[in-house]
Amino acid sequence: MVELVPQLLRQELADLAAMGKRRDGRSQWESRHIELEVDCLYNADGSAKVTWGDTIVYAGVKFEIRQPWPDRPSEGSLMCGAELRPIAGKKYEPGPPSPESIELGRVVDRGIRESGCIDLGSLCVIPGESVYGVMVDIHVVSDSGNIFDASALAAIAALRTTIVPASKFDTGEDHPLKITKTPIMCSFTRVGGRFVMDANADEELGGDERIHITLGDDGHLHSLQKGLKGVFSPAEFAEILEVSQNQCDVLRKMVESAGGN
Amino acid sequence: MGGYGDVKLLNDDGTRLDGRKVDEMRSVEIKAGILPNADGSAWVKHGLNVAICAVYGPVEAHPRKIQRQDRAVIDVRYNMAPFSTSDRIRPGYNRRSREISKVTAEALESVVLVERFPRSKISVEIEILAAEAGTRCAGITAASVALADAGIPMRDLIVGVASGKIEDTVVLDLDKAEDNYGQADLPVGILPTTGDLAFLQMDGDLSPDEFNLCMEYNQKAAKEIHEVMIKALKEKYEEGA
Repeated sequence: MVELVPQLLRQELADLAAMGKRRDGRSQWESRHIELEVDCLYNADGSAKVTWGDTIVYAGVKFEIRQPWPDRPSEGSLMCGAELRPIAGKKYEPGPPSPESIELGRVVDRGIRESGCIDLGSLCVIPGESVYGVMVDIHVVSDSGNIFDASALAAIAALRTTIVPASKFDTGEDHPLKITKTPIMCSFTRVGGRFVMDANADEELGGDERIHITLGDDGHLHSLQKGLKGVFSPAEFAEILEVSQNQCDVLRKMVESAGGN
Repeated sequence: MGGYGDVKLLNDDGTRLDGRKVDEMRSVEIKAGILPNADGSAWVKHGLNVAICAVYGPVEAHPRKIQRQDRAVIDVRYNMAPFSTSDRIRPGYNRRSREISKVTAEALESVVLVERFPRSKISVEIEILAAEAGTRCAGITAASVALADAGIPMRDLIVGVASGKIEDTVVLDLDKAEDNYGQADLPVGILPTTGDLAFLQMDGDLSPDEFNLCMEYNQKAAKEIHEVMIKALKEKYEEGA
C-alpha cells in the first residue's frame, strides 16, 4: 500500500505547525467539544456515552460471580476491555482482538486500577469462594481520533453510575458501586514535529508518536503509555505533563457533574 | 502492583531487602551473538531476569499486505517461557505479551533506519527465560543489542530500565518483591546518547516530583547499562577477528 496521502498530509501538517496552526483551527493545547451522557444503556449495570468531536465511544459495565484469584481470596476483580469494531471506521477489520484494541483496553484498565478508585475488597461475596468480577467493555463506534481519552472518560463515567446487581445473583440487595476517585486520561500526539492535545483523525494519520497520561484527583500520575514510532525528550514530556494537569481538572469536573454514585 | 502496604521492603538503615541502595541497580551482564542461526542475537541477564533475543532479516515481508513501500516493518514477539516464573505460565500469546510486543516494536522502529529496507521485514524474537520483574526492559535492551549485532543501521541503541516507588520512597530497578508489593513502576526505553525516550509505560501512583526523581535514576542507569551493551558488542567482534 503506497501511503501517498499521509506523505502529503505530513507536509501540510508540518507547514501548519510552523505557523502555530492546526488543520481544524484549534490551538496546540485545545481539545474538541466533548459531550458526556451517563446511564444511557438499559441492560448495562453502568453505562456512558462519550461524543468527542466526531469520535463516539460507549462504555458498559457488567458483573459476574466468579472464584477469587488464589493469591487474593477476598478481593473482587476488575477487567477493562476494548473492541474496535468495523463500524468504527474503514481501517478496522473483523477478526480476533487486534494489538491496537488490546493496548487501548489495557491502558484504560491501568489508569482505573492504579488510581485505586474501586475498593476491590468491597466486591467480595464469600472469602475464598465467590467474588464479583466487574467488567468494563468499551465499544468504539466512531473513530475520528483520540479514542484513548474518549474511552477512559466513558469508562470512569460508566463506573460512577454503576449499580451492583446483587439481587440478580442472590447475594444481597442492589447497591451502588463505590467509586472514590476520578482518574482522567489526557493524550498527546506529535503532529508536524510538535505535540498537540487531542489529535483528530487527520492528525493521527499524518502524525507520529502519542503519549497517554492518566492523572488522579491529587494530580499524581497513575498510568503512562507511549505508542507508535518516535522519540521525545524529557523537556517535551515535562511540558505536556503540565498541560495535562489543567485538562484533567476540566474533564474531572465534567464527570463529577454528570452525576453518579 | 498490589500496593500492599503490609510487606516491609526497606530495612531500618534505608537499604533494600537485597542490600541495594535506593539508587542502585541490579547487576547487568550482556553477551552479543549467542545464537548461531540468527542474523543477530543477544543474551541479557538483568538481576535474575534472563532474556535472549534473535533478529532475523531484513527479509522480504510476507504476506504482502504487511509490506510497506517506503520502509521495513519490525515484527516483535515478546514471549515468556512457561518455566520462567514461579507458577507455570500457559504457553502462547496473551494480552500482556501482545501489548508489550506492540510497544516494543514501535520503540525499535523509532531508532532503526527502517527507510533503508523498503518492503522488508525484520523479525525480533524476545524470549524471557527467567522473570524477576523488569522483563520488558531486559527484552528491549536485548533487542537493541541483537539488532546492532545483526548489522542493522540504527540512530542509537535503546536501553530498557525501570524505577518505581516502594514505601513512599523512589527506588531504581525494582526486583520482584518490590514490583509485587510496591506502589509504582516506571519502565522506559532511553536513547543513551541524547537522553530521549522511545518507550514509556507506567502504572501505580507517583507525584510529579517523584516522577522526576524516577526519571533522573533511569537516565543515570541507562548510561551504566549502555556501557555494558557497547562492551558486549565490541567483545564479540574482537573475538571474531
